[in-house]
Amino acid sequence: MMVPVRCFTCGKVVGEHWEAFSARREEGEDPAEVLDDLGVNRHCCRRMLVSHTDLVDVVSPYQ
Amino acid sequence: MTGLDVEVVEDGDRSMRFLVRGITPAYANGIRRAMIADVPTFAIDTVRVIENSSVMFNEQISLRLGLVPLTTPVGEFEEGDTVTLALDVSGPGTAYSGDLVSAEAMVEPAEQNVPIIQLKDGQRLELEADAVLGRGKSHAKHQGGVSVGYRHLQRVEVVGDLEEFAVDEPRIVRGVIEDDGELIPTSEFDHDLRNRYPGKELSVEDVPNAFVFHVETDGSFEAETLVDSAASSIGDRAAELHDAIQL
Repeated sequence: MMVPVRCFTCGKVVGEHWEAFSARREEGEDPAEVLDDLGVNRHCCRRMLVSHTDLVDVVSPYQ
Repeated sequence: MTGLDVEVVEDGDRSMRFLVRGITPAYANGIRRAMIADVPTFAIDTVRVIENSSVMFNEQISLRLGLVPLTTPVGEFEEGDTVTLALDVSGPGTAYSGDLVSAEAMVEPAEQNVPIIQLKDGQRLELEADAVLGRGKSHAKHQGGVSVGYRHLQRVEVVGDLEEFAVDEPRIVRGVIEDDGELIPTSEFDHDLRNRYPGKELSVEDVPNAFVFHVETDGSFEAETLVDSAASSIGDRAAELHDAIQL
């Protein structure tokens, strides 16, 4: 629903990068380069952001 | 053990790399484990929810709050001490870790921008939370070290030239290499020895009893502090054992 706060595998805090990552990806930047730039280097942390979908907007009408 | 030979290879706020010579693998692993499990950090443990009309359950929000790293001053608190934090955010908008207000200036969120929950119009989140000083042993949220590990130092020597038509295969090495006593992180030549020694035949071997540690923290304290606290925790336990066996 919301981005995980930390990487499941190594425990690095990745949640803080989500908003920058998704905004820059929307602008058409290469996701790999954005992740490098944000300092998300390990592939365990990268998949946390690459594979995430925000679902709050989907769920909120059914509260 | 008489004086360790330590060289810092890379030094940053939250991550560092250093080489230690003259220790056994068991000793290196002891330091690694102490960094992961024995350096206490603050993490939110108990949450009293006053109002939560967001799309997430109280338990889910508590879990997210628990994972937010909190700055932990060394030596100021005892294990088990608590610090109270409060959060009050009304939608529309997002509640961030930076919105947590701490009762103790030394213990506050290390990251300001971790989204806790997105709130829609009319939704509200108000809560009080107790952060406890605990060890990584009891829960991963108390782990100060993130991806702490070590590798052997690799010694690279040029043996000769490659034959003219020899197959040019990649030689991938990760970590730190030693070339004539000089320490070079492999990231400098994209982890491929061909880039540094084109057309050379090489011998690569582990340097016995030399370990390169890579240490990263979650922001609770600096990497240097983590190593320092881990080392003294081993020392303290050794002293405790020493005292316990005195008749």
